[in-house]
This record gives sequence, C-alpha cells and structure tokens, in this order.
Amino acid sequence: MPSFSAKENKHPSRNIVFLLAIAFSLAAGVISASAQAKPEPKVLLKEVDNLSDFTGKDFSAVFTIVTQKPGEKDSVTQARVFRRDQKEQFLILILLPEVNKGQGYLREDDNVWFYDPTSRKFSHSSVKENLQNTKAKNSDFTLSSFAEDYTVASMNEGMVGKFPVWVLDLRANTNEVSYDRVVLYIRKDPTMLLKREDYSVNGRLMRTTAYPKYVEIEGKLLSSQILILDEINKGEKSQITMAEQSVTPLPDKVFTKAFLEQVSR
Amino acid sequence: MNTVLPRIAARNLLRQKKRTILLAGAIAFGIMIVTLINGFAGSFIQNVSENFAYLLGGHVFVSGSEYTASGRRISVIRDDSVIMQALADSGQKWASLQKTSETTATLIFEGKSIRQNLTGIDLTHSTMLKERLALTSGSWDNLAWPNAIILSQSVAKKLNVLPGDTVVAQFQTVTGQNNVGEFRVAAITVDSSFVGSIMTYVQLDYLNSLSGLGKGEYMSLGIMLDKLDRSGTFANSLYTSMKGMGLQLFDRSTKQDSGSTTPFQSMIREQNSETWTGTKYRVFTVDDVLAQAKQIVVALDTASVAILIVLFAIVMIGISNSFRMAMYERIREIGTMRAVGVQRNEIRSMFLYEALFLALAGAVAGIILALIVMGILSFITFDPQSPVFLILKRGHLSFYLPPLQALGNILIIAVLTLVAVYAPANAAAKMPPAEALRTVK
Repeated sequence: MPSFSAKENKHPSRNIVFLLAIAFSLAAGVISASAQAKPEPKVLLKEVDNLSDFTGKDFSAVFTIVTQKPGEKDSVTQARVFRRDQKEQFLILILLPEVNKGQGYLREDDNVWFYDPTSRKFSHSSVKENLQNTKAKNSDFTLSSFAEDYTVASMNEGMVGKFPVWVLDLRANTNEVSYDRVVLYIRKDPTMLLKREDYSVNGRLMRTTAYPKYVEIEGKLLSSQILILDEINKGEKSQITMAEQSVTPLPDKVFTKAFLEQVSR
Repeated sequence: MNTVLPRIAARNLLRQKKRTILLAGAIAFGIMIVTLINGFAGSFIQNVSENFAYLLGGHVFVSGSEYTASGRRISVIRDDSVIMQALADSGQKWASLQKTSETTATLIFEGKSIRQNLTGIDLTHSTMLKERLALTSGSWDNLAWPNAIILSQSVAKKLNVLPGDTVVAQFQTVTGQNNVGEFRVAAITVDSSFVGSIMTYVQLDYLNSLSGLGKGEYMSLGIMLDKLDRSGTFANSLYTSMKGMGLQLFDRSTKQDSGSTTPFQSMIREQNSETWTGTKYRVFTVDDVLAQAKQIVVALDTASVAILIVLFAIVMIGISNSFRMAMYERIREIGTMRAVGVQRNEIRSMFLYEALFLALAGAVAGIILALIVMGILSFITFDPQSPVFLILKRGHLSFYLPPLQALGNILIIAVLTLVAVYAPANAAAKMPPAEALRTVK
C-alpha cells in the first residue's frame, strides 16, 4: 500500500489528467444527452406529419362531430372519410344529418369539389372551408403538412396536463395557408400532438384544438378524439370522434365524381 | 269605297246588344289578362336592373383578376390610373364612380352570429349611400370612424346591436387565410328589400387591410350612369378604350356556350379555362349579370301568347257557334238580300266585317280595362322586406306595355275571330236564295 501511495504521489499530474478526462466525458455525455432530448424542430414537425401519413396505403374511417352552440340544440354530423395520401386524394361523404345525407367533398388534383345530391351539381370548395355547420375544417380530416407549410419561430418546453411537451410556434411560409400562425403542443415521448392553437393574420387566437385520445393503427398513432373550441365565438365547440378506421385498400373509383354521384343516390 | 256592308255589319252587332256585349266581353277579358302579363313583363327587367344597379353600386362594372405566385386566382385592381384614363378617353359621361371590395364574413356579437356579405366602400365620401339609405338609428357623422359598419335593421336585430357597439367579423383574406376584424356600428338602415337587408357596408381601407389588399387597391369599380339603357353602349366604348390602351380584357362578345346562361357566366367560364400573367380585366353591365332575368321576361311573354291562344280557342268556339246561330236567325234576311242582287262574297264579307268589329271592340275594351287595372295595382304599396320588392319600382308595381306588342295582340285576335267566323259566313254565302226565303223559323 505505501508503495502504491508513493507511486501516486510520485505522478500527481497523471491523476489530474485522469480526473479531467472523466469530468470531460461526463460533461460530453450530458451535453450529448441534452442534444438528443431537444430534437431538430423541422424533424419534429415532420414526425407529427408522419403520424397521420398513410402514404402507400388507403385510409377510411367514420367521424362523428357533435357541435355545441349556445342557445341551440346540439347538432350531430357524421361523415365517412376516404383518403389516399399517395395522391393527396380524399372523399368525405356526409351520412348525418339526414337532410344533408349524400353531400360530399372530393379532392381531385388541386381542386376540392362539393357535391349536392339535391341539385346534382358540383361546386368549388376548399380544404379551408368548414365541414358543414361544424367547427371542423375539411383539412382536419386530411394529411397534415406542417413541415412544408410553416417555419418554426420558437421551440420551448412546457406542460399539457401532466405531460411534458415541446411548444412550437409556427409562422406560415406563404399567405395561402388557413392560419398565419399556429402553436403546436407536442408530447415528448411518444411524439404526439396534444394541443394546437390557430391564430388569425392579425394575431388573434381563433381556434384551440385538443387531441386527448389516440389509437394505434398500422404502427401509427392516430387521434381518435378531437375537441375544437371557437375562441372568437366563445361557447361554440365541436367534438370529433373517429370510428371504423381501416387501412384496407380502396378501389380507384372511390376518388371520382361518378362514385360520389352513385353513393349519393 | 263601299261602306254599305260595314254599316249593315255594325247595325247587326247593335241589333243583338246582349250577345255582342257577351262576346266582346269574353274577348276583352282575354286581352286584358294578356296585356297585364305583357305590361308586367315589360317593366320587370327594367325594375330588376335598376334595383340591382343600386344594390351593386353601378350600371357598368370593371373588375380585375390576377394569379398569385402559387397559382391562386384573386380579384383585385391594383392600379386604376389606366382605367380612369380609358374612362376619360371613351368620351362617355357617367354620374358617379364607386370603388368596392367584398368579402363574406360571419358577424359575431355576444354569442349571436350571422353570415353577411361585407361591401367595402369609401363611407366617408360616398354620396350614393346617403342618397339611397334611410337611417333608423346612428348618424352619418359616425361614418368617419375608420372601422365603421352600416347594418340593415334586420341584421342589427338578429345580432341585437345598437350604434356604437363593436361587432367581430370572421372571414378569409383574398388568399384564403383566416382573419378577424372589429367593426363599430355607425348606423342602422331601413331594409330596402330582402336583398338590401343582407347588404352590409364597411370602410374600404379597413376591409382591404384585413383582406390582404393594399391601400388604394380594390376589387371592382362600379360606374353609375344617368340612364340604365345606356349601360350596353357605355360598356362597349369603355371596353374598346381599355383594349386600345393595351390592357388584357375578357372578351365581351364571347358566344354563350350551352352551359352558361348569361354573358357574365360566359366571361367567368372563359376566366376558368385560361391562365394569364398580370391583371386581366372584365367589363360588364348589370344587364349581363341579369340576363337570366331577361329569360324570365321571354318566358312570361311566351306564356302570355300561349294563354292568348288557349283563351281565344275557347272564346272562338263560342263566337263561331254564335255566328252560326245568327246565320240561322237571319236566314230569311239573307235570302231577301240575295234575291235583290247581293252577291255571295258580299254576304260573306258582311259576316266577316261583323266579326272584325266585334274583335276590335273587344280588344280595345280589353286594353282599356288592362290600363285601368294597371293604374289601380300601381297604387298598392308593398312591404319593403317582401321578396317581390326587387321587381317593384320604389315599392310599387309598375307596368310598361310596348305599343307594337299591343297592336300584335289586337292583330292576333282579329285574325282568330275571322278564322272562327269564316265557316258560318261561308255557309251563309253559299245558301241558295230560294231555299233561304222558304225557310220558316
């Protein structure tokens, strides 16, 4: 032992170097761990987009939307949604209310058509339009494209309920997306969108959307319940629930005007 | 000219006063109905066009379209100096100009909401609004507010707002982004019609700033003329003048394809089927937009002719039978006339003269009756909010009967009556005099 001690005392500089090496490697590990915990904002956005991306597969589900407006009876809208993300196609077929049954929205190339079985006519619509008399927009049922449409202005940590989240403040890349500013609250692990705030061009909060429930389908997490609050007309809100979700291949004819006309009869 | 036969015919009509009055009355009734329809149709398009011109703020319009970088088509006039120059060069005169922008918005106030079309105009300097709108509350002085809004009575009632209140408007910019604006109620107006009640006016500059348009930009230029019937000529000369200045224009003379029902729709279809760079302008009149209303006039006129024919087919059967009876009643008279040398064709002519006089008397009486009814109907005042208000002239029914149409109706009646009477007249003419004299009634 004394010899060992003597040996140590004999080379004090070696010990310092050794300790420093340990300290540096620990620090580097912490830094590295910290860097892994804060993902690249664009990558995180892409991850959120990928959550609902069924490219290579077809997706269909039935959405029930209950809309509440102060002083009015709750209204129920039900729609069957068919999506083919590969070609950015979708078809939304209204099932309820009975009076609007058979109406539908079809995306063909860059056009969104609205079909009214009463007049048997198609008219131009947009993904930015509200679905029927609800607070949901047609775009809420399609593939999201945050990574393409927005730039991340800031990224901070926060909490939504008991979940730690990344708060991403997004600014639109063009003046042609529905909302000029969007704030996303993305759960850290696993990555899933928990809350979204949409702002008007002049910076006023217009809509808050919460995504409290998710289901897993084909390895992807899909929001099965969505709550939309109208922040301008306080008290108006919609609750969307998803059911009968499927990734079974759909025939090509589903995404045609002829199909919409046929099923609306 | 031999006036004996017409005089005998006239005397015969007067001999059977009751029958003549009934037959002429039937003709008069038919003519009255048809004249009323024609009169209504005649003023229909005039009234609709004038009312729409007031609602849209012009008789002739210029609007511009351009594509954004991403290929979205938007409606905008960015620099109107060339249009103003073209207007001056066209050599035409106008009463006033109105620069407007439009959007459809949801107006919200304390939990109540309503979908409205917002028309942005220069409220502070607009004389048109002051001339046309009657205020129920608020003041014209309030129009100086930068975010002033003028609501109709019915909209104000639905939102439960009063002058001074601030309503929130939710709408999309020209590029489709969601935006929100706050408007202060400057005045509430009397509903001028069911269409007027959905018109909501706001400050042009404020609406433009919220819609993504710059200062001095707008969507449409409305040109008010002193007379509606000048709109076609005015639009054509403005079109030529603008074309001459090298501006891109949608063809005004586009042939209507089978799918489009108005010249305006043809222009829109042309717009949808092509792409261009820069701004392309559209010159159109209120009549181009309302060409479908003209089809209603055509339909009304066609219906009136159909009614005329059906009604008179029934009346003519009655007239034909009456003249056949008259022939049998006068059979000995006819025999006597033939015996003293009256020729067959003269007997026939006598009956035909009688029919002609009957038709003319009935037709003239029908037109006079129609004019009286039109006069009475035009005194009735309709509710400004009634859906028919748009086809009225200052709240009253108005009629215009083109003189040629009235003459045409008289001619049709005369011909139909002559056709109906020809068979009994011919039978009377062909009757052997001896046999006629032997006949005992």
